[in-house]
Amino acid sequence: MPAIAVMTERFVSAAELMSRALGMPGYGFVVIGHPISSASAAQLEGFAKATITQARRLLLSE
Amino acid sequence: MTFRVLDPTNEKRDAGGRPAPRPGSLRGKTVGIISNGKEGTKEYFAHVARLLQEDLGVGEVVLRTKSNFSAPADAHIVDEIRRWQAVVTGVGD
Amino acid sequence: MDLQAPGRSLPSAKPALGSKTYEVDDFAAAQELYHANGWTDGLPIVPPTQAAVEACLDWGLMPPDQLVAIEPVREQPITAEKLAVNAVMAGCLPMHFPVVVTAWQAMMQPEFLLHGVTSSTGGCAVLVIINGPIRTEIGANAAFNALGNSDRATAVIGRALRLALINLLDVRPGGIDRSTLGHPGKFSYCLAEDEEGTGWQPLSIVRGIPEGASAVTVMAAMAPRQVMNEWTTDPREILETFAAEMRANQLNYSIYGGNYVIVIPKQLREHIERAGWSKRDIAEFLYERARVRRADWAEVGKQSIVRDRASRIHPALTSPDDLLVVAAGGPAGGFGAVIAPWMGSKTRAVTAAIGVCVDCEPPKTREPRP
Repeated sequence: MPAIAVMTERFVSAAELMSRALGMPGYGFVVIGHPISSASAAQLEGFAKATITQARRLLLSE
Repeated sequence: MTFRVLDPTNEKRDAGGRPAPRPGSLRGKTVGIISNGKEGTKEYFAHVARLLQEDLGVGEVVLRTKSNFSAPADAHIVDEIRRWQAVVTGVGD
Repeated sequence: MDLQAPGRSLPSAKPALGSKTYEVDDFAAAQELYHANGWTDGLPIVPPTQAAVEACLDWGLMPPDQLVAIEPVREQPITAEKLAVNAVMAGCLPMHFPVVVTAWQAMMQPEFLLHGVTSSTGGCAVLVIINGPIRTEIGANAAFNALGNSDRATAVIGRALRLALINLLDVRPGGIDRSTLGHPGKFSYCLAEDEEGTGWQPLSIVRGIPEGASAVTVMAAMAPRQVMNEWTTDPREILETFAAEMRANQLNYSIYGGNYVIVIPKQLREHIERAGWSKRDIAEFLYERARVRRADWAEVGKQSIVRDRASRIHPALTSPDDLLVVAAGGPAGGFGAVIAPWMGSKTRAVTAAIGVCVDCEPPKTREPRP
């Protein structure tokens, strides 16, 4: 099942470590700005647009 | 005088999986979103769902929220995945 | 080979340790090796030699490859040998090792939520409470400085768990450990209960362990908050101070109900016991008194999340059973401590008996008949 995981930029190193621990180094993630819990509506929409741009690359074969 | 000391780490590493093959397009397909339900994710994923349909032509978008954002996804959510063609999960913050 | 030759018992081969070994020139070189590899908590470690590790395993009657637990999220197998290496590094002697093993197994229970609690930005530590005869055997001191550096046993047992998290599960700051702040309990957070100094039931018995058994309780916990009320002997007034600290935690840190630990030293404990209050009475009182209205969040700068549920009441304890009362601390001082959970009931405290193990019988040797 093709899947992408989204995280904020401050969590990239944790995700990379988990990828190696789980035996999948180099797994691609979608990275958006931090933090999300106090972001404005406009910022959230911006994060969503960035997500779709990255999703094209990570979720679809070229 | 030298002496020998032991490695304290878990030296064995299990072989991991491989990423699933990527589809050429998601047009008309079903995409599932597994949200950890944290503050801000509802609005963020609403935008993502809309853009998946508007920009990538996705057919149906299903949103599921984990009951515990610090634990892996609930078993019933994992079971549903087989009905989808792609998954978006998040948000790690 | 004769199995039953007269005058000889069965030979027992010592199973070999499986860990990779490194040769070091001296104690200082060992320190640099372990620090450079990220294998420490920043403090000096006891170099784990084969002899020291074997001594722990012998005491615990465990072969090196005995599976102590499997970490649930990443399915990492944890062997007795690897736990013993980290226990030795922390300063544990063989007699401390069974406590470390039991605490670790308790942390692996699904309801403890080990991966969540150790990786979260919330920065909790693993609090360990020891009950039963083993306290005396290891010299654990439940009186002066119970929450600080009270004795060797509690210091090294607590530390062993953190080193095992670092080395066996890669829980390192900035890696899997995303703690924003953490707290000093992450070095070691272990105390014994002063069972001899109280008429109350030990915590382990309250939580279902049979009388006479030794046990550990583990909890994903925040730092202790010290309260003081030396101006009354009325249990309600004394406990109201504890309740106020719990309510403050709910508003200032996390509102959700879960396991709270309260530590009551001798001076306050005597007033409460003399008034005939049991641990159950305390729990029922605090269950009623430690609760806040969601609207109160506005008083501490959190008005934006009150929303349309202002009148909702949040109890600090989801039931009186959530409260863990521990009798510990020095003989003088009208102080007590409140220890809050990491995050409501997402994680639950776990209590486990020490030495109760179905398949770790000592090997039976057949003595020849005269």
